[in-house]
Amino acid sequence: MRDVYIIGTGEHPWGKFKDRNFVQLGEVAVAQALKDASTDWKDIGAIMSSILIYGGNAGHLSGQYIESMFGETGVPVVNVYNACATGSAAMRMAYNSIAAGETDTTLAIGVDFSPEGFLGAKSDDPRQDRDVIRWRMTGMPNPTYWALECRKRFEKYGDTPEDLADIKVLLSQFGVKNPNARYQKLFTKEGVLNSPMVCDPLRLFEICATSDGAAAVILTADPEKIKAAKNPVKIEATTMGSAIYGDPTIRISAVSAPAKAEAPMLSESYSASQQAYKKSGIGPEDVDVLELPDNSSWHYLQYLETCGFCGEGEAHKMLREGQTQVGGKVVVNPSGGFSSFGEAIGAQAIWQVVECSDQLRGRAGERQVPNCKVAMAQTYGLMGNSGTTIMTI
Amino acid sequence: MQTMDTVEGKEPRLPDLFCWTDDGFRLKSAKCNDCGSYFFPGYHPQHRPGCKRENVEDVLLSPKGKLDTYTIQHYMCPPPFKTDHEIAPYGIGLVEFPEGIRIAGIIMETDLDSLELGMEMEVFDYPLYKDEDGNDVVTWAFRSVK
Repeated sequence: MRDVYIIGTGEHPWGKFKDRNFVQLGEVAVAQALKDASTDWKDIGAIMSSILIYGGNAGHLSGQYIESMFGETGVPVVNVYNACATGSAAMRMAYNSIAAGETDTTLAIGVDFSPEGFLGAKSDDPRQDRDVIRWRMTGMPNPTYWALECRKRFEKYGDTPEDLADIKVLLSQFGVKNPNARYQKLFTKEGVLNSPMVCDPLRLFEICATSDGAAAVILTADPEKIKAAKNPVKIEATTMGSAIYGDPTIRISAVSAPAKAEAPMLSESYSASQQAYKKSGIGPEDVDVLELPDNSSWHYLQYLETCGFCGEGEAHKMLREGQTQVGGKVVVNPSGGFSSFGEAIGAQAIWQVVECSDQLRGRAGERQVPNCKVAMAQTYGLMGNSGTTIMTI
Repeated sequence: MQTMDTVEGKEPRLPDLFCWTDDGFRLKSAKCNDCGSYFFPGYHPQHRPGCKRENVEDVLLSPKGKLDTYTIQHYMCPPPFKTDHEIAPYGIGLVEFPEGIRIAGIIMETDLDSLELGMEMEVFDYPLYKDEDGNDVVTWAFRSVK
């Protein structure tokens, strides 16, 4: 297998862009990435593209539409969906295609347009789609699932409402420094604790919004391109995990879970991260910057434990001691996180890689983490989907 | 035990999830006698890896279980969830049944301030709205055992 490097990245700012279409957002991210990589479109040997599930036929064939914007070249174009870990799948396929020698230079692209408000049901047949049951019978939008788990953490480990609010405050301090963030506003603890309760114990400002956005990465094993690149980023591992039997997490879209735990919580994310540690020989103790999926403040705490940055029940201790900030054990979400960006399902995993890459290349502006040598992007998708990418400079 | 998928004046909003019996309202599950797993809905199997998957049978869950965790929803869930009256704030809980499966559902007819993890809950039929024929369209819900 060949070593694979990131030589160019691009990002369209996150927000709501009602008067634009996904190809236009994708064009911005891809054009930036090509320029950054000093790579000609005709050098792209394959395109791995995230599916937009709310984008109809075009959304399911997003790679072809992006390709036609830049000019069709006949290369393999694969469109993939793995819930909120969709971009991880595109990254992994791009990496594997190059490492195996099928292509030299590949584009991983994720664009998404979200519907207004909650991400809702997409079918009406419960026989085919279990998701229909939760929408019709139990009235459970995604944050409900997180609140159920968050309540258990409160009881089991002693996390508090103040911890949840502090997380939002910390993320907003990074978010104001990121010109691509949708929300560049500083929050106070009082402001967060006074925001409307959505699903107790989660408040409005402790749950991420749904956004539109795009991110693109150009990967290569071409020695000349790597040599010519400005600070190429080495991909040490890019893995995916699915859930493990006996996972006690109440998984989004499910209306049941086993009573007895026979696997770790968020076992898909545990699996993806463990695979990445094993493959790279890099452990959580080596990671300088971690971009984790903070869909809610609960995720921030839970993912520190799921990915082994601390022991079970110890995440709030890390938080309170400042171990997740600059100067601590690992800097968590210096991008500002989903808290500042919002979710854009197909784009967010690639966006996390772009943010990690910017930190490693020392071009993260005001939010630059000093001396960042190892970065990790961790994703979480419903129904047992997760990806981990570990990168070094 | 006699079981009925509908009873006079009541219609399930979705089929195959619960039934009425001469011993009260029950959730429908399925059990794999090879790997010991319970499924809900029964038609969505989640077997243990390596299971032979040959001996799956339909079963009804016990009428009572313990509250594993809960949240209080302070807003109405958007469509397709539907009720003919405002129910927010309302509870949503995970109830652990003695068979070894936890089921999610709305919590009604219970003082939300009294909710505590581990408390005993029972399952019952809750009317969401009325259909054109005047029948109650129902889902399953949980309430505390008095």
